[in-house]
Amino acid sequence: MVPELYIRYFMSSVFIINFYNFSVMSSQKGSYIFFLIFCFVFLISCSKQPPIDNNTMLDGDKVFDPSIAHPEKYLISAADTNPTEQQKETPVVIAVHGYSATTFEWDEFRHWADSVGKFYVSQVLLGGHGHDYEIFKKATWEDWQKPIINEYRKLDSLGFKKISLIGSSTGCPLILEMVYSGKIKTNNYPKHIMMVDPIIIPSAKTLSLVDYVGPMVGYVKTPLDYGEQGHWYQYRPEESLNQLLEFIDMVRKKLENGIVLPVNTTLKVYKSLKDPSADPVSAVLLYKGTKCHNGNHIDMEMADSKLHVFTRLQGRNSYTAKDKELQLKTFEDIASIIDE
Amino acid sequence: MYKSFISGLIIILIGSNAISQSLGDFYAGIRIQKTHNLYYENGITLDYTHNFLLSKKIHLGFSFFTSRLGSAYNSNAIKQDNYLVTATCIFKNEKIISPLIQVNTGWFYSDMEEKMFESIPHTSPLLSLEAGFQLHLHFPVNAKATIGYNFITGDGINGPGTLYPLFYEFSIYYKFL
Repeated sequence: MVPELYIRYFMSSVFIINFYNFSVMSSQKGSYIFFLIFCFVFLISCSKQPPIDNNTMLDGDKVFDPSIAHPEKYLISAADTNPTEQQKETPVVIAVHGYSATTFEWDEFRHWADSVGKFYVSQVLLGGHGHDYEIFKKATWEDWQKPIINEYRKLDSLGFKKISLIGSSTGCPLILEMVYSGKIKTNNYPKHIMMVDPIIIPSAKTLSLVDYVGPMVGYVKTPLDYGEQGHWYQYRPEESLNQLLEFIDMVRKKLENGIVLPVNTTLKVYKSLKDPSADPVSAVLLYKGTKCHNGNHIDMEMADSKLHVFTRLQGRNSYTAKDKELQLKTFEDIASIIDE
Repeated sequence: MYKSFISGLIIILIGSNAISQSLGDFYAGIRIQKTHNLYYENGITLDYTHNFLLSKKIHLGFSFFTSRLGSAYNSNAIKQDNYLVTATCIFKNEKIISPLIQVNTGWFYSDMEEKMFESIPHTSPLLSLEAGFQLHLHFPVNAKATIGYNFITGDGINGPGTLYPLFYEFSIYYKFL
């Protein structure tokens, strides 16, 4: 992300400066006007449309997240429209993926949970995600959040009594914002909230410049592992990156002022110590900025991992036995919390 | 009594002018810094120049500024401190508004507060470049407004995560010697 952004920015600057020098040195009366017109044409002629491969990329118009066609396989509210009393007493956790990802991010956890059989996992697809580049580009962070709120309300109205939430990366601040802003609109507050590698501060600090540099570059290409193709957007439009920046900045400021969780809601954060996407200092901000209703600190576990969202190993080019061990240990810990 | 006071004042002014000519000009002031999309960090700044520094075109300085006096004051923001040694080149020094460039280097420290976060990087050297203007407001007060870029930032693995690239600085100085 960084080299591409810098190279494009640098080349644009060099080209404009050289042409400016040429115009000034020519000493012709209309040089300045010509120079300005040239700059305008140059800037608007920069390609803002990424080279999308429709057959393999989620950004295209042929590959979609499977939860769009088969919501009943992913959402508990769609699968169990008339739950029994026993089902209503069974804990259900809404799993929320991160920015530019899909339901794929929580597939392994869902399969593991199904094998354990003690609770349900409802995999939400964020708004604007899982479709194509243009839809992703237009979606706001409020759009991303809507399906989480909808699923929570539906489960609540269906009578599920033990609803919890689990998020990864950007899914975490989306859950937190939804809870502290009172968007759930029910007295059935989440029993537990769990976060895996939450992002409050991005690791790549160039993201902080996206409001200045974004309009010049148009989009940023994200390197994906082979098994991640079709499950993540390859191209991140500057409009969408601006939304991400605006949103995490808003949550950071809210954390600075302090967030108090609803009565009886617990929060546990799992944070990779060497996360290449969500800066580990995000954990510090969450720990300092969030308190349980009784004034206690939230639970925090710093994990010895180099992965972002270390609970998802499927699709990665490689991972170690230690990564697998950490994944299972975390799944078991999450299950024990949900089962409380 | 009145005459003695005036005489004393004149002697002090002449004396300080003589000292100033021999020792150079000393300024002290406050520095207000806003990191783009992050914190306000405020503190003190000292500045020195002398005729031998290219006829006072070059200024040498020291700044200490911290989020403790900014965004982290009475809030949950990260408490972080910056210690900077600065070298400033001021162009067209005789004008009311003078363009300037400034090179900074120094040390950054952020307080993680809890033992469990000790392994997260929290110190870093600083290297930054600023460009902007100095405004000669009304003698002996100067003000400076710049935009700066940190060449060393942190990603939370190899450097502190709250060390961002772009910042805006405003300083106001009083010439006390």
